[in-house]
Amino acid sequence: MANREFLVDVDKCTGCMLCVVSCKDEHFENSYAPWSAPQPETGQFWVDVKTLERGSLPRVRVSYMPTFCQHCADAPCIPACPDDAIKTRDDGLVWIDPKACTGCGKCEPACPYDVIFFNEEAKIAQKCTGCAHRVDDGLAPRCVEACPHDAILFGDEGAFTGDGLEILKPEHQAEPRVSWRGLPKPWIAGTVIDADQDEVIIGATITVHDIANKTSHQMQTDEYGDFWVMGLAESRSYRVEIAADGYKSVTRDVTTDGDQDLGTVVLSSG
Amino acid sequence: MSKKEDHKVVYVSHPGSGLARSNFPLETHVSGDRIVRSLPFHIPDETRLYEIKTTSRGTYTRPRKEVQMPLAIAHKRRVHSENRVRYPMVREDWSPENPNTEMRGKSGYKRISWDEATDIIVSELKRIHKTYGSMEPVFVQADGHGHSGYMQSLHFWGHYLFDMIHKELDWGWWTQQVRNPDSWEGYYWGAKHVWGFNASLGEPFQDAVWDDVLEHAEVVIFSGCDPEATGLGMSGGIALEMPKWLKKAGIKIIAISPDLNYASAVHADKWIPLKPNTDAALYLAVAHTWIMEDRYDKEYVASHTIGFDAFKAHVMGDDDGIEKNAAWGETMTGVPAHTIKALAREWARKKTTLAVYFGGPKIRGTLSHLAARMEAYVLAMQGIGKPGRQFLRIGAPSFFKKDLAQVPRYPEVDFKGLALNPMIEYAIGHAPMSPSFVPRTLAAEAIQNEQVEWKGTTSALAKTEDQFKSYKFPPSPDHPGIRMVWNENGSQPGSWGNGWKWLEALRNPKIECVVGIHPWLENDLGFSDLILPAQTNYEHNDLIVVQRSDILGMFYQDQAIEPVGESLSDFEIHRMIGRKLGLDDVFPPAEDWLKKAYEGTIAFTKHNINWDEFKERKYFIYDSPTWEEWVDIKKETGFSERGGGMSWFWEKGEGLETPSGKIEFVSSLISEHDPDNTERPPVAKWVSHHESPDQPKARDFPLIVMSNHARYRFHVQGDDIPWIKELQKIQGPDGYMYEACWINPADAKARGVETGDILKIYNDRGIVLVGAFVTERIIAGAISIDHGAKMDLAALRNEPVDRGGSINLISPTPQDKYGDGEIKIPEMNVSGFLAQAEKIDPADIYPGTGGASGAAATSRTAATRGTGSV
Repeated sequence: MANREFLVDVDKCTGCMLCVVSCKDEHFENSYAPWSAPQPETGQFWVDVKTLERGSLPRVRVSYMPTFCQHCADAPCIPACPDDAIKTRDDGLVWIDPKACTGCGKCEPACPYDVIFFNEEAKIAQKCTGCAHRVDDGLAPRCVEACPHDAILFGDEGAFTGDGLEILKPEHQAEPRVSWRGLPKPWIAGTVIDADQDEVIIGATITVHDIANKTSHQMQTDEYGDFWVMGLAESRSYRVEIAADGYKSVTRDVTTDGDQDLGTVVLSSG
Repeated sequence: MSKKEDHKVVYVSHPGSGLARSNFPLETHVSGDRIVRSLPFHIPDETRLYEIKTTSRGTYTRPRKEVQMPLAIAHKRRVHSENRVRYPMVREDWSPENPNTEMRGKSGYKRISWDEATDIIVSELKRIHKTYGSMEPVFVQADGHGHSGYMQSLHFWGHYLFDMIHKELDWGWWTQQVRNPDSWEGYYWGAKHVWGFNASLGEPFQDAVWDDVLEHAEVVIFSGCDPEATGLGMSGGIALEMPKWLKKAGIKIIAISPDLNYASAVHADKWIPLKPNTDAALYLAVAHTWIMEDRYDKEYVASHTIGFDAFKAHVMGDDDGIEKNAAWGETMTGVPAHTIKALAREWARKKTTLAVYFGGPKIRGTLSHLAARMEAYVLAMQGIGKPGRQFLRIGAPSFFKKDLAQVPRYPEVDFKGLALNPMIEYAIGHAPMSPSFVPRTLAAEAIQNEQVEWKGTTSALAKTEDQFKSYKFPPSPDHPGIRMVWNENGSQPGSWGNGWKWLEALRNPKIECVVGIHPWLENDLGFSDLILPAQTNYEHNDLIVVQRSDILGMFYQDQAIEPVGESLSDFEIHRMIGRKLGLDDVFPPAEDWLKKAYEGTIAFTKHNINWDEFKERKYFIYDSPTWEEWVDIKKETGFSERGGGMSWFWEKGEGLETPSGKIEFVSSLISEHDPDNTERPPVAKWVSHHESPDQPKARDFPLIVMSNHARYRFHVQGDDIPWIKELQKIQGPDGYMYEACWINPADAKARGVETGDILKIYNDRGIVLVGAFVTERIIAGAISIDHGAKMDLAALRNEPVDRGGSINLISPTPQDKYGDGEIKIPEMNVSGFLAQAEKIDPADIYPGTGGASGAAATSRTAATRGTGSV
C-alpha cells in the first residue's frame, strides 16, 4: 500500500477554524475502533491552527498554521512508548492504539511538534490518526474535507512536489509525511517618507544585503512608500540601504530574529 | 465513519442566519437520536455552475463543496446545552396579581405543563384586553435571526399571532417592535439621501456587479468590511470565495478600518488603520486632495450629480473656516497625512471599487449616516458606475438587485424560484403593520419614558421620505403604554444599544408579564415570567430555502432527533396559543404551509417536481446560465456584456430614486423637509458628536470602543458552546473564559495590562468585564470588543457588572444624544463610543447566578494567538 501524505499551504489558510471544529465534531463522542477512542469535549486539538500575528501597526499581517500530527516515517514518539502502543499503518499513518496505551505520558514530550494530548478521563494519550477510519473508506481526512481553501490536502506519496515545499523542524530528522508550502519567513518592512513635504516616497530603492554571504535583494517602495522584503532567512544579519533620487540614503543593520519592522523611515533631501 | 456505521443523512438549515432563509444546509449524520457529525454539502455534478468570463483575467466560478461556519458544525453541542429550556416554566415569584417585577433576572423557575402555560397566556391576554381595551399594551419583539428554516423556527410568529387576534377576534392592535436596518444603518439614514436605493436600504444595486469588477477594477477598498466575520453565516461559502476572486484577478485590496479584521489580515495588501467613526473625515481629506490636485471626474460631477459646489465649499472651508486638507484629516482620523494623500492619488489613478459586507463597525457607529453620505460623495467624484468603479457588497444575497443577481443567474430563479415566506414583512418590511409601534432602537425608552418621539418608522424598506415623518409612543394620550413583553428574540441586550437600560426596563413595575419563547435561557430570556421551550432546527421538519447564496435552491429538512424535553417549534407554540384562542382557521398545520409555499415556485410549476417527489429527493438546486445565456439576459435588461453594478447610471446619468434622479450632494429631500438639522444638513458636513474624543466626557472615558461581528458566534448565538468559546475567549487568571478585548500595546502599557488580564470596560452607562488581548491589530486609542457575548451578570465588589462581556450593555441609544426632545435620527450605534479600560483583580468578582459555565473550556488563546515567532 502506498504511503499517504499531507500538504499544508500556509498561504491559503485564512484561520476560519473549520478544521479545528470539524475534527472535534468527528471525534467527540465518536469512537473509531481500532484507530481512536473519543476525543474529550475540550482541551484537545488534534488539528490546531496556530495564529502568528506579524509586524507592527500599520504593517501587520497574520499567518495561520494548521498543525497536526506530522505522521513521521521515523516518529520519535514510537520508540518513546514503552508499550509499543504507537504504530505505523501500512499507509504510513501513525496512530496510538487506545487499547494498548497505558497513559504513561512518555510520548508527549518526545514529539517535536507538540501534537499529542493526554486524556485525563480515559488515561490515554491521543492525537490525530489521519482520520484512518475515513481513509479506510476511501475518504479524505475530515480536516481536508472541511477546509474551504484547499489549505490542507491529502494524497499518495509523491503527490505533493514542486518548489518551496518544506517540512517542519527538519532538525529532528523525523521524516514527517506532511509537506508545507508558504511557511512564514522573516520580513523587513517599513514606510519611506519625506518629512519636510509630508509625502510618501514612491519608488525608493530598498537593498537588503545579506552580510555573511554577500548576496542582496532589491525592491522599490509602493504607492504608500511601503516596502516589505519577504522570505528572508531566520536569525541572519542584514544591512538595509534605503535610497531615493534627491535624498540622502539611510542604512539600517538588522538581525532577523523574527519579522523586522523599521517603522517610518525619513529621508532628507540632499 | 466506517461502512459499518449505521446512520441516516438529514439536511439541516443554518443555525444562525434565520429570517426564513438559509444558505446551503449541513449534511448531518444521525444515528438513533444522536447527531453524529455534520459534513459540508457538495453541489451535485449535474447542477450547472456559472462562469464569469473576463477578457484577460480568466474565468471565475465557485467550488461545489459548500462549507458551513464552525458554529453550524458545533451547533449539535448547543442542542443539549446546559442553558436549554426543556419544559414550560413560570417564575416562582410571579403571579398576575403580584408580578414582583424587581425579581426578574434574579429568581428561579418552576416547571409547568403546556396546558398550564398556555392557559396563563390566554388568561393574561384576556385580562389585558379587558383592562386596557386592546392588545396595544403587548410589546411584541419578534424579528430576530433565529434558525434558518422556512417557518418552524421563525422568530416572527408573535406578530402573526397578534395580527390574527386583531383581525379575527377584533381585540385591537398590538404594539409592534420594528426592526431597524441594523446592518445598513449609515446607508439607510445617510446614503439614501444621496442616491436613493430604498429597496437595498441605501446601498447601490448589485446587478451583475462581479462582471464589471473582475473585468476592470484595479483596487478594491474593504471599507470596514470583514467577510470572514459572519461571512459563512449570511452568505455561505461564497463570501469566503469572493475575496479570492479579487486576488486571482490581480486586484489590490486596501483595508480601511480601526482593526486589522479577519478578512483584512489575510487578504489586504495595505491596511490603513483609522480612529473609529472618522471615515467621514478621511473621505473629506481625500476629496480635498482631489480638488487641490485636480484629480476628480468633473464631467461626471457636472452631468450626474447636483450640488457639488456646496460640498466643495465645505471641503475647502469656505463655510466654516476649516480647510479639510490631509493634515486636518490626520488630526481627525489618526491616518498620517502622507498616507491620506497617497490613498487619494491611487484611488484617482486606478479603477477603484469600494466594498462592504454586513454591518461593519463603520456603518453601525455614531453618526454613521455621515460616513455613508461622504462615502457616496467621494464615489461620485470618481464617477461611480464607470468600469471598475463600483460599490460592491461581498456575498450574494439575492435581494440587492434591480433586475439581475450579482453573479450569473436566471432572473426567473431569483423571482420565482424560491418559497419566500411572507412573514418576513413583519420584520423586514415597508412599514409597521400596527399603528402602535416602537423602533427596536427605542425599546427601553418606550417602557421607561412617559413618551418618546422620533422621526422615521425605521422599517427596513421604508422610502426615504419616511425619515421626515414624526412618530411617538404612546401614540395617543389615552394609550395605556407597554404592560406586557413578548420576547422571541433574546438578543436585545447583546445586539442593540444600552442593554443595561433594557434590563432595567424589563424590571419596570408597570410590566405585568414577560413571555419568553426560546430554546435557551440566556441573555434577557432570564428576565421572563413565563418561558416556553422552542426547538432547534434539528427537531422538526421544515423547508430550507437557500437564498443567502450565489446558487439558489430548496431542501427538505427532515426531523433529525426527538425534540429535547417538551420543546415545540416556534410555529407550533404560536399555533397552540392561537388554537386556544379559537384561531384554528388561520393556523393550519405546518405541512399545509410548506406544501403551498413550495408549489408557488418554478420547481413545481415549471420543473414539475411535486411536493411528495421533492420530499423524497430532498432538494432541488437551480442551474446557472451559461456565460453566453447570461450575456443575452443582460442585454435584455439593458446591461452591456461587461457592464454591471451602477454601469447603467453611468451610461444614463439619471434614474436614481432621488427627486433629481441624480446623485445629490445637496439633498433635495433634506432641503425641503429638514433643512435646519445640523447633524444631517442638506449637504453633509463634518460634525463632532456626543461620543467623540473631543467631548468633555472623553476625559473620563478616553478610549473609543469599536465592535465587529464575532467571527465564530452569530450575533448572540452560540456563545454557550465550549468549542466556540475555545476559539474566541481569553482565559483569565481565575480560569474564566472572558470575551476578548483587543487593545493596542501602547494603551495596554499605559494601564499595566498584559494579554490574559481581566479588564473592566466602563462608561456612564455601566460596566462589562473582558479579557485583554494585546495586539498590533487595533489602532491606539481604540479597543475592539465583538458584540453578542453571552451575559453573565455578577458583581465587582458592589457594582453590577456583566462578566460575560456583552459590550452592547454599555453602548449608546439614540436618546443619549437627544435627551427628552424628538429623536431626529433613531440610528443604532453599537460601535464607536467612549469608555475606559482598567485592570481588575479577579478576587473582587462575585459571580452571579446566571449559570455561566465559564471555566468549562480551557483556553488555547494565550498559547496560540500572537505569541509565535517566525
